Amino acid sequence: MSNLLTLLILLPVVAGLVCYFVRSSAVRNLTVVATGAILAAASLGLLGQGSFEPLAVGSFLGIGSDFLITVMDFALLGVIFFYGVKHRNLLIQGFTLAQVVLLAWFEIVMVEHVDVPALAGDQLSLIMVLVISIVGSLICIFAIPYMKEHEEHLHLKKSRQPRFFFFLLLFLGAMNGLVLANNILWLYFFFEVTTLCSFMLIGHDATEIATRNAVRALWMNSLGGLAFVIGMMLVYMQANTLNIAAILGGASQGALMVTGVGFLCLAGFTKAAQVPFQSWLLGAMVAPTPVSALLHSSTMVKAGVYVILRFAPVFAGTLLSDGVAICGAFTFLACAALGVGQSNGKKILAYSTVANLGLIICCAGINTPLAISAAMLLILFHAISKSLLFLCVGTIEQAIGSRDIEDMRGLYARHPRTALITVIGILTMMLPPFGVLLGKWMAIEASAGNIWVVIMLATGSALMVVYLARWAGSLMASREANAAPERQPLLTRLPLMLLCGGAVVLSLFSPWIYNTMVAPMFNAPPFIIRFGSFEASTGAFVVGPLFIVFALGLIYAVKAASGFRKVRIAPPYLAGSNAGEAGTYIGPMNVPVPFSTGNLYLGELFAEGKLTPIFNALAVALIVLMLGGAL
Amino acid sequence: MFGSFIKKSRAKSPWIMHFDCGSCNGCDIEVLACLTPLYDVERFGIINVGNPKHADVLLVTGTVNHRNKKVLKNIYDQMPEPKAVIAIGACGLTGGVFREAYNVVGGVDKVIPVDVYVPGCPAKPEAIIDGVVAGLAKFAQKVEEAG
Amino acid sequence: MDTLILVIIGLVAGPVLGGLIAGLDRRVTAWFQSRQGPPITQAFYDVAKLFGKEKMVVNQWQILCSWVYVIAAATSLALFFAQSDLLLIFFVQAVGAVFMVMGAMAAKSPYSQVGAQRELLQVLAYEPVLILVFVGFYLVTGSFSVSAVWQVDQPLLAKMPLMYLALGYALTIKLRKSPFDFSTSHHGHQELVKGVLTEYSGPYLGLIEVAHWYETVLVLGLCALFWTTNVAWMIVLIGCTYLLEILVDNTMARMTWRWMLKRVWLLGIGLSVVNLIWLYAG
Repeated sequence: MSNLLTLLILLPVVAGLVCYFVRSSAVRNLTVVATGAILAAASLGLLGQGSFEPLAVGSFLGIGSDFLITVMDFALLGVIFFYGVKHRNLLIQGFTLAQVVLLAWFEIVMVEHVDVPALAGDQLSLIMVLVISIVGSLICIFAIPYMKEHEEHLHLKKSRQPRFFFFLLLFLGAMNGLVLANNILWLYFFFEVTTLCSFMLIGHDATEIATRNAVRALWMNSLGGLAFVIGMMLVYMQANTLNIAAILGGASQGALMVTGVGFLCLAGFTKAAQVPFQSWLLGAMVAPTPVSALLHSSTMVKAGVYVILRFAPVFAGTLLSDGVAICGAFTFLACAALGVGQSNGKKILAYSTVANLGLIICCAGINTPLAISAAMLLILFHAISKSLLFLCVGTIEQAIGSRDIEDMRGLYARHPRTALITVIGILTMMLPPFGVLLGKWMAIEASAGNIWVVIMLATGSALMVVYLARWAGSLMASREANAAPERQPLLTRLPLMLLCGGAVVLSLFSPWIYNTMVAPMFNAPPFIIRFGSFEASTGAFVVGPLFIVFALGLIYAVKAASGFRKVRIAPPYLAGSNAGEAGTYIGPMNVPVPFSTGNLYLGELFAEGKLTPIFNALAVALIVLMLGGAL
Repeated sequence: MFGSFIKKSRAKSPWIMHFDCGSCNGCDIEVLACLTPLYDVERFGIINVGNPKHADVLLVTGTVNHRNKKVLKNIYDQMPEPKAVIAIGACGLTGGVFREAYNVVGGVDKVIPVDVYVPGCPAKPEAIIDGVVAGLAKFAQKVEEAG
Repeated sequence: MDTLILVIIGLVAGPVLGGLIAGLDRRVTAWFQSRQGPPITQAFYDVAKLFGKEKMVVNQWQILCSWVYVIAAATSLALFFAQSDLLLIFFVQAVGAVFMVMGAMAAKSPYSQVGAQRELLQVLAYEPVLILVFVGFYLVTGSFSVSAVWQVDQPLLAKMPLMYLALGYALTIKLRKSPFDFSTSHHGHQELVKGVLTEYSGPYLGLIEVAHWYETVLVLGLCALFWTTNVAWMIVLIGCTYLLEILVDNTMARMTWRWMLKRVWLLGIGLSVVNLIWLYAG
């Protein structure tokens, strides 16, 4: 058990160091692939052993591990402060200094240093570990061919890949530590490590815009760190323990406690890029695509969600809970609306990510077993589908040189395999019987008791269908019968295929996943599983039968469609003036005139520049209300 | 049984597409008059569609000239089988009074095969309806021959 | 076993009823316009003829998407007859809508592309309204499942009258009636030829028509849930609603998507919210 834990947290760190110091690309590739495989196996092994009680870590080389963490904490804050000075950003300096002062006071004056079991794993942690270790590893593997090509474009004198893979792998280790931590100080430490890693990765290309966005990410997350420290202190004042399991088990809902958790939620909001903090995540799009995929699907943003979900039992039934639900739902709606106006594929994905995180946070706020189940399933399935989509956009970008969905129009004609995988990825994001929709369905049913939340969810989910469906549609096109097949490196194709298969197959097994991973968390699980269906008195979702019907239907449809070259192929109707070439009509002087079609982005209603300030202001008001509700 | 129902249905649901090749609009107005409550061709299941891909019967009015013959051919080609073409009015039949003009090709049948000719200048709505019914009989016969 | 029989009834009754309703619709419309109109069974002739036409496509996506559309529509009606979860039924129905849009967008045709965009806007307009109506069902019956609706002892219309009006918007959009028939319409010409359906032809258009019948029956079934205590009144309710739809169709002009979004979101969602607040308070 403890071996597995060590492996999950420390192996990525060690592997990262290897990548950093050994500059041979062969060693690096091997290390990344091997680490990925071992992590995936270890996470499955951990799952096989099931959830475990908090356990002590003991000492490391004779130094107490808690002490070690404390020292590294301050070192880390020092590094962040250094970057704040380097980039002359007063916000980062201020937030970091405040953290140092408060943390020092907390560690030296307030906390009685007793041994606290440092690691624990419940169902939530285990699901997170799976997502991080498997999805995260696949992204790292995908990064190998991606970064090779990326650097070829940049014509670097000296490869910066060692640094890149160091932070990428460190990130995985930090995330595993974060979700397994039982000592709140450990949680804080890993939280800060992810902040630093994301700063480094966003700024990796070292262009002006990359640096600017990285700095923005850093100050926003430093604010989150500060909120975390304050929250931690308040919680400690009431609970008198650093032990998260004890804090959750204490079930005291004093004002200090709830306010403290409120601040922890604020920290989660910044990490999960909830409105008004979404701008750092949108800015993070300048980084190489594997970074975006890692930040958005399996790690960084999920850390914020995790913190809120972790402390959700503490604020059950309080006004804070409603506040969290409304903030989350508002983010869902706002980002779904902002996404409609976008044509940049990565930005669409970013908004959709923030929206889905809002949905998960909203579930945490609703705080019923049904809602928490929804949140956990969403974490899992969203991570798979979203990372798949990011990797697809990355692949497409390297193939066609653009991430704009207007440029991806008709992608099937040239890159059929990538286009199909992307379409499947998009479908798994929004249609039944796939997991993300299952989660959304649960979320809507769980929120039916809260009128404002359910209105926002209903509207937001409609907006989301619009921008995802039109993207999927515009990828499809005619393909010449004898067109050249698409070529891809194996390490690109493998993660894509695995994630695509995973998104579909795991959705089929969602009832089983629910039974083994989610249901044991509750005394009274919200669903019973029968015939592969979720059943409850409030409603039912027939996963298994739907899968069978749709699978048979799809097989038939694909079979019917695959014979299409035998039926008559006619060019599209162009009022009778089709010219010989596709996409042109006969114009004046009998000259073929090309025409183009584009999506409707509803710029007048969903303009980003116009809506963002309004949404930010509203969100700030809601967050103030939320924290006020905690007091 | 289903096959025979389809066969029967063909005659009961002729969707027409009206193409004005260069008419003076006299025949066009008469075609549209068929849709009015007075003549009500929808009684026979006739619908006026705007898309050759949905159409069974192509009604063509007016003379064909060098500019629009390509369009006429293209629209005819985009109609799925079985289909029928009905040329309407003196111009559609032969080119009419414009026959000798330098830019005129002639009647519709110079470009695409025509099944029924409805004469008149302009053709009367009754004649057009009659032409459609005759056209249906023709293409029923065509389907029969094709097996 | 009962469920299975109900599902089979649903699968068979869907196209039969849907086709008859479509025929009746044209007949009544003709009556409004003092015409005789086609026979009631006209819709069946039309679809049978379409199935007998030559297969012709732009690319394979029209074939795939029309099949998935009809399968999804049939599945959603089957789920409705199996008295399943209303939200689930709606999401399954959305599969069909999304696929139809994708098939239309796969052809590089300006008409079907613009039609597809408009179709998505229609989805955007009616989806929130429908979800809120289902939430209303939940608040009254304590469950999202259709079976719970049958156990109420007072027609839901009495508790959710405003919701029924809001559902009217969704119904009009779903039935492709004026003023919301801008993505495609049943009538002859519109500025987009046949909008989202332009590139579907022959048997594939027939499939889409059948899917539309399924959807018509589904949406009318949703209306029927507002009066489950008495079958006679239920039929009267559906009859009146549909008649009103035809009247609206015949008296309204086709409007733009801007008009629709504003109208449906403000009035449709507004009515639903007011009604929801009643239910919460009650």
